[in-house]
Amino acid sequence: MAAPMALRRQLFDLTRILGGISHLGPRAVGACSGHRPCNIIRSRLPLASSTSFHTTTVFSSTPSSITVTEEADTLFQKVSLLVKGHDRSVLDSYELFATMAAKELNITINEVHEHPKDMDRFTLLKSVHIFKNHRVQYEMRTHYRCIELSHITGCTAQVYLEYVQRNLPEGVAMAVTKTAMEKVPDHILEPMWEDHPIDDKLSQ
Amino acid sequence: MASHTRKAFLCLGRINASGLGLQRPASRVSYATDKPINSSAGNKGFPDRGGRGFVRRPRRPVGEPRTEKMPVDQDWTAVYPAATPFRPNSVPLPLRMGYPVKGGVPPEKKGNLELMKIPNFLHLTPAAIKKHCEALKPFCTEWPSALDTDATCDEHFPIKVDGTDYVSAGPSVRNPSARVVHLKVKLSSLNLDDHASKKMLKLVGNRYCKDTDIITIKADSCPLRQQNHDYAMYLLTVLYHESWKTEAWEAEKAVADMEEYSWEDSPSQRNILDALVRMKAAGEGEGEEVREQLLGRREVQEYKDSVTRLKNEGESESSMLQYKEAVKKVLNL
Repeated sequence: MAAPMALRRQLFDLTRILGGISHLGPRAVGACSGHRPCNIIRSRLPLASSTSFHTTTVFSSTPSSITVTEEADTLFQKVSLLVKGHDRSVLDSYELFATMAAKELNITINEVHEHPKDMDRFTLLKSVHIFKNHRVQYEMRTHYRCIELSHITGCTAQVYLEYVQRNLPEGVAMAVTKTAMEKVPDHILEPMWEDHPIDDKLSQ
Repeated sequence: MASHTRKAFLCLGRINASGLGLQRPASRVSYATDKPINSSAGNKGFPDRGGRGFVRRPRRPVGEPRTEKMPVDQDWTAVYPAATPFRPNSVPLPLRMGYPVKGGVPPEKKGNLELMKIPNFLHLTPAAIKKHCEALKPFCTEWPSALDTDATCDEHFPIKVDGTDYVSAGPSVRNPSARVVHLKVKLSSLNLDDHASKKMLKLVGNRYCKDTDIITIKADSCPLRQQNHDYAMYLLTVLYHESWKTEAWEAEKAVADMEEYSWEDSPSQRNILDALVRMKAAGEGEGEEVREQLLGRREVQEYKDSVTRLKNEGESESSMLQYKEAVKKVLNL
């Protein structure tokens, strides 16, 4: 089991960030299937950033840093976004936005499909008092859209989901189901008992 | 942490605006921190002390809409940097929306409530998305290239943990269903021997799916997702170690507890051997050697296979046919 590399870099120049720093990707051990690519580094967004929206002097003086830690990145085999809304065209536009954002960030889109809509109907009395034969009917339509992404790292998932959730339009709800992959932990690899066929003391 | 990215691309919009040289006056776009342009505090519509009637503040003449002054190759991300309601004077498109008048067309965009009500995506044009993603790319990491197929993922990372997040508008951002955790693991990927895997299946009960060989543990008793995740891992650990143990009372396992049907010492074996012995009749005497010799015969073995298959897999066309053939061979029909 190769130990994760200890990397620590501080980037103080924001223009370099905007220039596209591609070497932040993981230093993965080669494509050997026997090894587990474990030295995946996570970059965390800086907590102390003093960039303020309302000031006119925006970029030049405030440094922004991307910290790289040696904590292993979570791996998501599948991330499924289910978006619900009352208006189908709004969901169409949102799907366009989400798929384009995924393409730009090099996230593999597994499938985009639409669940059949749900109609919630109920019948009420039209009048406040009596007149039982005169009713009024209402219905609520819920449209769905499911976007499935596969093979995403924890950092990328965090960035993408936050971007996509902040731009969620009004009146649209979202449910994100993430399937994380984990290795078998060390304490489950081998049984802890000695070779006793019958263990009376521990059966209490 | 989240605000940083938001400010990053909002600042991006403003930087590009300043880069173009600002052909339109910046004071048109007003923010809360700006000083109020109109300093006439006294003339706000209240009449003077001495004057009669209502002295209205003289209204500024309405200028031409901004759309007239927009160049064709402008930077749209500066016009709509964030999600804002629809402004007809800022969108240079001939939009019409609404139910048309009889014999007419849908109403125009000026003063159109329908266009204002619907959420617009004017701030998320492809150019804007590209800009945002360029700013976000440094924070992303790549998927390791060695794990390209599902099979390799299952081999190295057999435990799958499912968690769900919910985003919706309401009085509270919390959703109690977000604490539920499903832990899925394939039985074949755990280090279990024969007895241990059978015991594990008995312990796990209906959480095991035979078709996919996956054990699913659902944990929702704790209030936080992290706690539920830890509890599910703890349950898996306990199940694993308990299934390796062999208790004293496991020796009392009866035929009814067996998971699979085994032909040895079963009524079926006794019956067929009795029948064959009686068929042999005269010459050879009763004894264990006769039975063992009969057991070794090929037809008896075939009969054993067909009966085992019938009992374990259930009845089907092929299994019944196999049984029929085996019986015919054994009884020399």
